[in-house]
Amino acid sequence: MRLILRLYPSAWRRRYGEELSDLLDEMPSTPATTLDLLRGAATLHMRALLDRVAPRLLAAGGPPMPTHPLQRHPTAWALVAVLLAAPTAIFVTLSVLAYQLELPGMQAWLEPFMDGLQQAPRIVDFFLLAAPFLAFLLAVLPLIGLRLERVDGELQITFALRARTLNVIVLALCVVVGGFLASHLLAEFLLERP
Amino acid sequence: MPDRSASSDPGLLLLISLSGGPKHGHAMLLDVASFAGVRLGPGTLYGALTRLEEDGLVEPLPLDGRRRPYRLTDAGLTALRGRLTGLNAAVSIGLARVGNR
Repeated sequence: MRLILRLYPSAWRRRYGEELSDLLDEMPSTPATTLDLLRGAATLHMRALLDRVAPRLLAAGGPPMPTHPLQRHPTAWALVAVLLAAPTAIFVTLSVLAYQLELPGMQAWLEPFMDGLQQAPRIVDFFLLAAPFLAFLLAVLPLIGLRLERVDGELQITFALRARTLNVIVLALCVVVGGFLASHLLAEFLLERP
Repeated sequence: MPDRSASSDPGLLLLISLSGGPKHGHAMLLDVASFAGVRLGPGTLYGALTRLEEDGLVEPLPLDGRRRPYRLTDAGLTALRGRLTGLNAAVSIGLARVGNR
């Protein structure tokens, strides 16, 4: 049963561990005692967790609580979004130049790359398709603010949007690139239907 | 049907036990078993004791050998009196109603 004492919170053990250990020496070791000790350890851990979390949730007039870490570094996440969406953006731009605007020599220059892409694993296709949507999320989440606070005794959730130039530019890029790719795939799907 | 009402509030049982004088953990278990017929487990005992001490209702005394006794504080005595008075009112009303049937 002494091993079970190790499951108790360390701060609690420093204060009460020796007393409880002495008490166990005076008691018979039974399954009921073991279960009671386990339940006691779980209760104390739960209580310690609540003691840590509850004041943060319910603090009146405390600082606003950001609900996700993306809010703290919006520019960094916008740059990550740019890197994520860049391959798709380049692919879409070259495709438009070659096949929509039909720039001279562009198709011949791009042909080896497109052949290679067709033979590439499906995961490459999936990445090119999914990247703008993931990048969109990375750029937009830092612009969304949620605050949890207690006002006049009531818990209030405040929703806010903020504008950051770089993030908005990246969002626009993602919408254009993703929208073009999605519409292109949809058109292909419809045209290939019998 | 087993009586679970008393065992559902080990804190109250410990306050009642300590109202009879300071006791260490094992003595509290024996005392509670004698007056309430409830066998508290060691985890339950120290969980309740922790909360009572945090709330300032009981306080530890210097070690007596390897054992540490606890005693009721003034706040603990006031809290216990309030709880028992409330229970007593409920018990009186309940007994009167049962007696009238």
